[in-house]
Amino acid sequence: MSQAPHSLATRLGRLLLPNPILVASGTFGYAREMDGVINLSRLGGIVPKTVTMAPRVGNPPPRTVETSSGMLNAIGLDNDGLDHFLDHHLPYLRTVGCPIILNFAAKAEAEFPQMAQKASKVEGLSALELNLSCPNVAGGIDFATRPEACERAVRSCRDACPDLPILAKLTPAVTDIVAVAQAAAAGGADAVSLVNTFPGLVIDWKRRRPFLGNGVGGLSGPAIKPLALRCVWNVARACPGLPIVGIGGIGCIDDVMDYLVSGASAVQMGTVNFYDPCAAIRVIEALPEALATLGVATVAQAVGAACGWKPQG
Amino acid sequence: MTNACRPSFHGATVLSNTLIAERTWRVEIQVPELARISQPGQFFMVRLPGRTDPLLGRPFALCDVLPDQSGIAIVHMVVGRVTGLLANIQPGDPLEIWGPLGQRFPEPVAGARRVALVAGGIGQTPFLAHVRELLGSQGFGGHAPRRRVETVDFVYGARTANLHAGVDSFRDAGAIVHLATDDGSAGIHGRVTDVLSGLEKPDHVFGCGPEPMLHALAKQCVAMGIPCHLSLETPMACGLGICYSCVVKVRDDTSASGWDYRRVCIDGPTFAASDLVDFVSADRD
Ligand SMILES: Cc1cc2nc3c(=O)[nH]c(=O)nc-3n(C[C@H](O)[C@H](O)[C@H](O)COP(=O)(O)OP(=O)(O)OC[C@H]3O[C@@H](n4cnc5c(N)ncnc54)[C@H](O)[C@@H]3O)c2cc1C
Ligand SMILES: Cc1cc2nc3c(=O)[nH]c(=O)nc-3n(C[C@H](O)[C@H](O)[C@H](O)COP(=O)(O)O)c2cc1C
Ligand code: FES
Repeated sequence: MSQAPHSLATRLGRLLLPNPILVASGTFGYAREMDGVINLSRLGGIVPKTVTMAPRVGNPPPRTVETSSGMLNAIGLDNDGLDHFLDHHLPYLRTVGCPIILNFAAKAEAEFPQMAQKASKVEGLSALELNLSCPNVAGGIDFATRPEACERAVRSCRDACPDLPILAKLTPAVTDIVAVAQAAAAGGADAVSLVNTFPGLVIDWKRRRPFLGNGVGGLSGPAIKPLALRCVWNVARACPGLPIVGIGGIGCIDDVMDYLVSGASAVQMGTVNFYDPCAAIRVIEALPEALATLGVATVAQAVGAACGWKPQG
Repeated sequence: MTNACRPSFHGATVLSNTLIAERTWRVEIQVPELARISQPGQFFMVRLPGRTDPLLGRPFALCDVLPDQSGIAIVHMVVGRVTGLLANIQPGDPLEIWGPLGQRFPEPVAGARRVALVAGGIGQTPFLAHVRELLGSQGFGGHAPRRRVETVDFVYGARTANLHAGVDSFRDAGAIVHLATDDGSAGIHGRVTDVLSGLEKPDHVFGCGPEPMLHALAKQCVAMGIPCHLSLETPMACGLGICYSCVVKVRDDTSASGWDYRRVCIDGPTFAASDLVDFVSADRD
């Protein structure tokens, strides 16, 4: 391998990452759980589980159920609140040695800038990711279904925390995700994270009730990859200057390359951490060779390599 | 309590797959790295490699460490997709396995002479290694064998006699075996709690099995003033503490409600019965 060490670096607006492989919010705990299981310092970044201003107990179990090549979850943002995160999780996360991206969700619009401002005052965060799209909390999805609400939420965070790059994480459950992504960009997002889980339902017909304690949930895993990839592709082709973090069903190096050439500048791996905890590291190791196969020297050269495609005829 | 050993992920090989009771299989897996460090009460996630359907691993208790430490044994009952597929695996087949997961069984209370292990159905699986450890016939996790108690009563309930699996292994390990069945086809015709009431009072009870049984056992032990620990089998997606799916309500005096959800995979799978608020509260069952 004659790759220069910097060839894996990638940029999301103001955020520079050592490599494009991140682990997704809600699928990696607060990272301490994985200390010693994998080498955390090699990751391109860690997005810890969503935090909210006030603690939340989360939804009653069962909280997850397997589906064909996927899973449905309704965890319900079980977390101990932002202050607890800053006091108990961030000190550890600062020592990990890879970029840490704080992911948070708000119950009401006014909470977004309040949380962003708190985050602006602490050391050790590389960026913020706004969870505008959690499907498992009442109202949680609204910020990413209405472009105006999305733009306002992003702008308020940008104003409250001008020094940290901001990623806006969107739901795929909209008619026109391009419009929401454009709104996020207009609000000052450095990048959009595409996508959160797809709303879904598993029903237990014999018991005449939904399987999950919450009723409906969010679908993730290999099953959603083509759906999520299409979101990335559409936004990449419509918004050429807007960096994208691709998320959905990524489990191996081919999945990563699919997202990069479709326009993602980085990816987050989620559900795969549950069933193949070493996958993220394996993918990072495989990346130089895959770039060489594509005939490029850097991640940046791979990003969007397929986006110029036009149907024939 | 924390485990010094962090979980690790392995591509492993099946050594044997044996039917030991109706729909119940003992699978021996070659994985010396885990054999050396796993302790009674801990568990593994096992996954069928090379496919995404079924997708997730499934949790199985450490049942036995092979005497030459070349591998571990799990015992499982066919209840669904993965266990159905596991029933057909052959020696030499690959499996993915990660562990050891969760906390080991706590030591019996100081001065305990008599311990009762109470199992319902396939909930028996964590107890074979536990008997070997308590009676000092085998050491685990690199520790020398040490006898902890004089007597281990193994109370084992099942729906019917054909489902009692590996009873002789428990006897051979030195436990006093007391069987119960719902239909009276083996042991006493009744429940494990009925058996327990008839025994000399144990100094410490450990239980594993279906939740209704654990609720009854928890209440019985609280009423009799016997320390009791229960090993839970909540559904799990990761076993590692990163998904938050396996939660159970655990007493928490700092919370306004008096409880908080805790992850069974890393805080458990064994909890003090008195901390499991839904198990000991009178308004349930
Ligand atoms: C710590 C721990 C240790 C364990 N140890 C053991 C052990 O040693 N031995 C053992 O046999 N078991 C053990 N279990 C239980 C074991 O993990 C489960 O039996 C196993 O996961 C079942 O997997 P499966 O794919 O065969 O079943 P699945 O197909 O996953 O089904 C499991 C159950 O859920 C129901 N279910 C699943 N999906 C749906 C749906 N969509 N709608 C309605 N119902 C549904 C099924 O009917 C079935 O009853 C343990 C569990 C834990 C948490
Ligand atoms: C169990 C579970 C919990 C999740 N929790 C969160 C969360 O707290 N915040 C968030 O932004 N996304 C959450 N997600 C969504 C993931 O971050 C990711 O967007 C989604 O799962 C798609 O990626 P995947 O197919 O690789 O899992 C969760 C997903 C799962 C499976
Ligand atoms: S099974 Fe994932 S947190 Fe316990």
